[in-house]
Amino acid sequence: MIATSIAGEARPSGPRRLLRHLLFSEYLVLYLSLAYFLAVLPFVPQMASAEVMRNILSDMLPLLVVAIGQTFVLIVAGIDLSVTSIIAMASVVGASVMTGDGGYLADSALAVPGAMIAMVLVGLAIGAFNGFCVNRLGMPPFIVTLTTMMFFSGAAIWFTTFHTETSSIANLPHGFVVLGQGNLGGVPHALWVVAAVGIAAHLVLARSVLGRRLYACGQNRRAAAVSGVPVGRVIAAAFLISGACAAVASILYTGRLQTGTPILGQTILLDIIGAVVIGGTSLFGGKGKVLWTVFGVLFLVLIDTSLKMLGLSLFSVFAIKGCVILLAAVIDAVRTRYAARF
Amino acid sequence: MNATRLRLVLLRNAPVALFIVVLAVFGSLSDRFLDAQNFTNILIQASHIAILGIGMTFVLLTAGIDLSVGAVMYLSVALLGIYLADVPPLLAVPAMMAAGALFGLVNAFFIVRLRVAAFIVTLATLFIGRGLALWVTETRMVFYKDHILSLARAEWLGVPWAIWVFAIVFAAAWLVLNHTPFGRQVYAVGENPDAAAKAGINVPLVLTAVYAVSGACAGIAGFVSITQVGAAASSFAMEKEFAAVAAAVLGGVSLFGGRGGVAGTVFGAVLIQTVQNGLVIVNADPYIYPLVTSSIIFLAVFVDSQRSRILERLGRRRIRIEERPV
Amino acid sequence: MALLDCENLRKSFFGVEVLHGVSFSLDRGRVLGLVGENGSGKSTTMNILGGVLRRDGGRIRLDGADYEPRGPKDALARGIAFIHQELNLFENLSIEENLFITGFPRLGAAIPFINRGRMRRRARELLEQVDIRHPPGTPVGQLSQGERQLVEIAKALSVDARVIIFDEPTTSLTRREADRLFGIIERLRGRGIAMIYISHVLGDVTRICDDITVLRDGAVVGGGPVAQMPTERMISLMVGRTLDQLFPERTATPTDTPVLEVRGVSQPGVVHEIDFTLHAGEVLGIAGLMGAGRSELARILFGLDSFKTGTIAVDGVAIEAPSPSVCMDRGMAFLTEDRRGEGLMMHATIADNIALASLDEYASPWTRFVERTRLGDEVGRIGQKVRMRAADPMATLVRHLSGGNQQKVVLAKWLLREPKVFILDEPTRGIDVGAKFEIYKIIDTLVADGAGVLMISSEMEELIGLCDRILVMNHGEIQAEFRRGDFDSGRILEAAMRRRGTEAAAAPAAAMREAV
Repeated sequence: MIATSIAGEARPSGPRRLLRHLLFSEYLVLYLSLAYFLAVLPFVPQMASAEVMRNILSDMLPLLVVAIGQTFVLIVAGIDLSVTSIIAMASVVGASVMTGDGGYLADSALAVPGAMIAMVLVGLAIGAFNGFCVNRLGMPPFIVTLTTMMFFSGAAIWFTTFHTETSSIANLPHGFVVLGQGNLGGVPHALWVVAAVGIAAHLVLARSVLGRRLYACGQNRRAAAVSGVPVGRVIAAAFLISGACAAVASILYTGRLQTGTPILGQTILLDIIGAVVIGGTSLFGGKGKVLWTVFGVLFLVLIDTSLKMLGLSLFSVFAIKGCVILLAAVIDAVRTRYAARF
Repeated sequence: MNATRLRLVLLRNAPVALFIVVLAVFGSLSDRFLDAQNFTNILIQASHIAILGIGMTFVLLTAGIDLSVGAVMYLSVALLGIYLADVPPLLAVPAMMAAGALFGLVNAFFIVRLRVAAFIVTLATLFIGRGLALWVTETRMVFYKDHILSLARAEWLGVPWAIWVFAIVFAAAWLVLNHTPFGRQVYAVGENPDAAAKAGINVPLVLTAVYAVSGACAGIAGFVSITQVGAAASSFAMEKEFAAVAAAVLGGVSLFGGRGGVAGTVFGAVLIQTVQNGLVIVNADPYIYPLVTSSIIFLAVFVDSQRSRILERLGRRRIRIEERPV
Repeated sequence: MALLDCENLRKSFFGVEVLHGVSFSLDRGRVLGLVGENGSGKSTTMNILGGVLRRDGGRIRLDGADYEPRGPKDALARGIAFIHQELNLFENLSIEENLFITGFPRLGAAIPFINRGRMRRRARELLEQVDIRHPPGTPVGQLSQGERQLVEIAKALSVDARVIIFDEPTTSLTRREADRLFGIIERLRGRGIAMIYISHVLGDVTRICDDITVLRDGAVVGGGPVAQMPTERMISLMVGRTLDQLFPERTATPTDTPVLEVRGVSQPGVVHEIDFTLHAGEVLGIAGLMGAGRSELARILFGLDSFKTGTIAVDGVAIEAPSPSVCMDRGMAFLTEDRRGEGLMMHATIADNIALASLDEYASPWTRFVERTRLGDEVGRIGQKVRMRAADPMATLVRHLSGGNQQKVVLAKWLLREPKVFILDEPTRGIDVGAKFEIYKIIDTLVADGAGVLMISSEMEELIGLCDRILVMNHGEIQAEFRRGDFDSGRILEAAMRRRGTEAAAAPAAAMREAV
């Protein structure tokens, strides 16, 4: 929306023009990912193997779903820190419904669908609470979701203690595990799910009335209200979508781990926000795309994987990830300032 | 109108009322809770979060945020454990503060010079700081020598050492914010950076300074914390940045800049610690600690947002005077 | 020799020259009125003087010495204080802290702490000079707009300013506060301080200034002692043509069909017993002084603010639970007075802005997707209708447009909905004469097509030139109604000030300021 509108200014020639084209391109992060991939390939040729590619993909999928939800919230100039706690809470609630060790619906045919519905409901409920506090009570999103994050992270652990002596709820039904690890037509179930979520999210943002309204609320909330946009409901919708996406991610993570665990996703909060921002979505609202988030997640996971394969220690992975987020932010700032000159 | 006034008074004093309720509830559940020794314990336990929160307050007052403070805490204790293991604390603490301040200057460079959002800069440097700390420690647990560990029990004039540090940092920060030109300019920049620049305040300098202060405070907080914990694992001070923000917000510091002060932050940190301590003393299920703490923070923010809404409504210009004026 | 002498000032932005050699001079103890339309170069000139901008050419002499400020602080150090339209005060700090924010008295040269005692004493002296009786420790947030203005003046006095520049100081002041300000200006003049007074309120300019300089299109087009510059002459110099050319001929006459009926609408503290009917094909103006409750009424009618009693009906059917979207569904539209804050998404394209209020109408019923081709065609059509001059509405960002074109975007947004009742709140504020004329034509076409227009304006000439009827509001009530043919600016003004008691009586002449 923003980046494309810069085209058609006075054109310098040659390499500078190419540089400008790259800098303002929507696909900048994709190009960076490719460049990075090619750059590390000589050091870790295995990166190009089907095995590693599959791993990168499967690492990307759940992260991508949460990040897409986060994109919605950032577009309305909010932030949702509670997503990791939603992942954890949904995981243990879902597991408690379907586990063979005394789950609410253990051994019933409804166990798996029931559990999945319960998980999505958890996400929706927490998202609805966030939305309610931000809209109706006028509380800042950062603090609201910070407290819900603290609360439900704790609640997930507490909840687990009612169902098991150990730290996680195991013995999930075969049907659920297959769902998480199987494939349909050679394509993993998870990929089908994420593709569906991604396409739906893209269509909502790019084509639907709600999408236009989300951008409007992020760009100028008062102008949106004066133009008849139901601002409160739109913002609530963003938080609801974020909650639901986090719940879907929880289903994917739980399926992969085959247990419901309350510390699921605890460490990925900064990855999620980092990936969305790397993609180019603004923290100040009004700007963002699903495709950008896909690129952002790809870039982050690519770096993660390559660094691990390079045999770099944990500290380098941390530090380099940080540098990448910083670099992306600097590029975005430069781009915005450059664009402001016209 | 009078009902509104009453509600405002109630809302303004709600955090203090909450504190009294907390004291009353735990006091009635356990007679150990209200004794002086326990209160000393609470202050000691609260000290590192309070110090961290004091630094965070400077940043929040300018409408910024510093998510890297937990990482800086870890980095500074890593430096202490690896390079400064035999240095006396009187030299080690300034060194840790300097390291923290330096880190803060890096944050400030990106925020002030390159104009990247503080949230994202400090999010990135959180990763980088933790990475550096893991590099310094070679991802091993760091243990500390006796001259540092003994500080946990050290006292001066009958007051534990940690409380002295806490008090000195608090007093210094309070003086700086309320009684120096720099402090008042911090408030001015947070209220309206454009107006501050037009008025001739060196806004970039003020912003740079607050991140340095935040980093330095994280250095001190790291030291205070390590004297109590005794060893630094790779998860040391993880997510303390959120605890610091929570303490400040609980104490009435606005995330939008310009409102609040360090006294509030200290109050917030002590309140959180009091609740945690009370839960331990009454043998509550440890799993509900985070639930209670987060509920209290939520409540405080809720109260604050209701109050500012009422104030905003009252502040609207009136065209006709029909009832008694406000 | 003059205290301040500006000679041939030039300034360009992005290669476009906006000041083409502006010259004027200013003596001690005199007040120079600087008038001109928006975009005439007043602000640029003053920003150069105040050190906010650097000039590209020309020279300035202050007290005989060359003057080239490196920034606002430097300008202040040389004795030139610039009081901006948006005040540079910090509501969270006290009055005294605001006065000394960049130069706190300290306990000692080497001691970094503020000397509170000395600060308070000096603040008291300064506040006395501007008649503020609050203790210096009072937070600025508790002061009225007028008092804040006076604090700004005290701030200028604190650095011994020799020249004080006022940029539209009275826009947010009540009558009484403005009078108080003028009293202070009078007193400062007596002390030999030179002042530059920028204002659109020509009555004020005439009242308090000694000399007038008129700017148009970045050049001085006239000036002289105030006695030789009656208001009409100032206006004709400013606009470059005479007044009666400014309004298009109305092409239609109002019908008897009511479209908007407002009955007994009251909201305590805001408006009282508002009663009127707007007919199809009618332009109904609302006149009144600033703060008379006109914009507040508009917001209530459009469902943005609540009201306690009364009914609002469109086409004879009352609106239950009004909200912007309900009102829009009933055929209402509302152009806000705060274009940047509430009217536009500055960083979005023209097309996105125009589409915002009509998304539902262009959504496919099943998918709720926006039908982009249909919408795009309509946006293009409406853009042409309002004579939008922009290369590509799909790509041009609104913030790159001039004020007049931005206002056309807001108009187009509502015209796309084909409103039956259009509430316009200060539709021509801050836009150039040419665009104003085009907006008048759009209004005329709209009513000719059968809509009713409710037009709030602070420009009396505009209301008289355009409206079929004018309601006069003051104190949150409708005071009087005038029909076309009976329009008389004196009587309208009298109604706008009636019942304001002492305030109006104290300054009958100055009240002209609202009229122009």
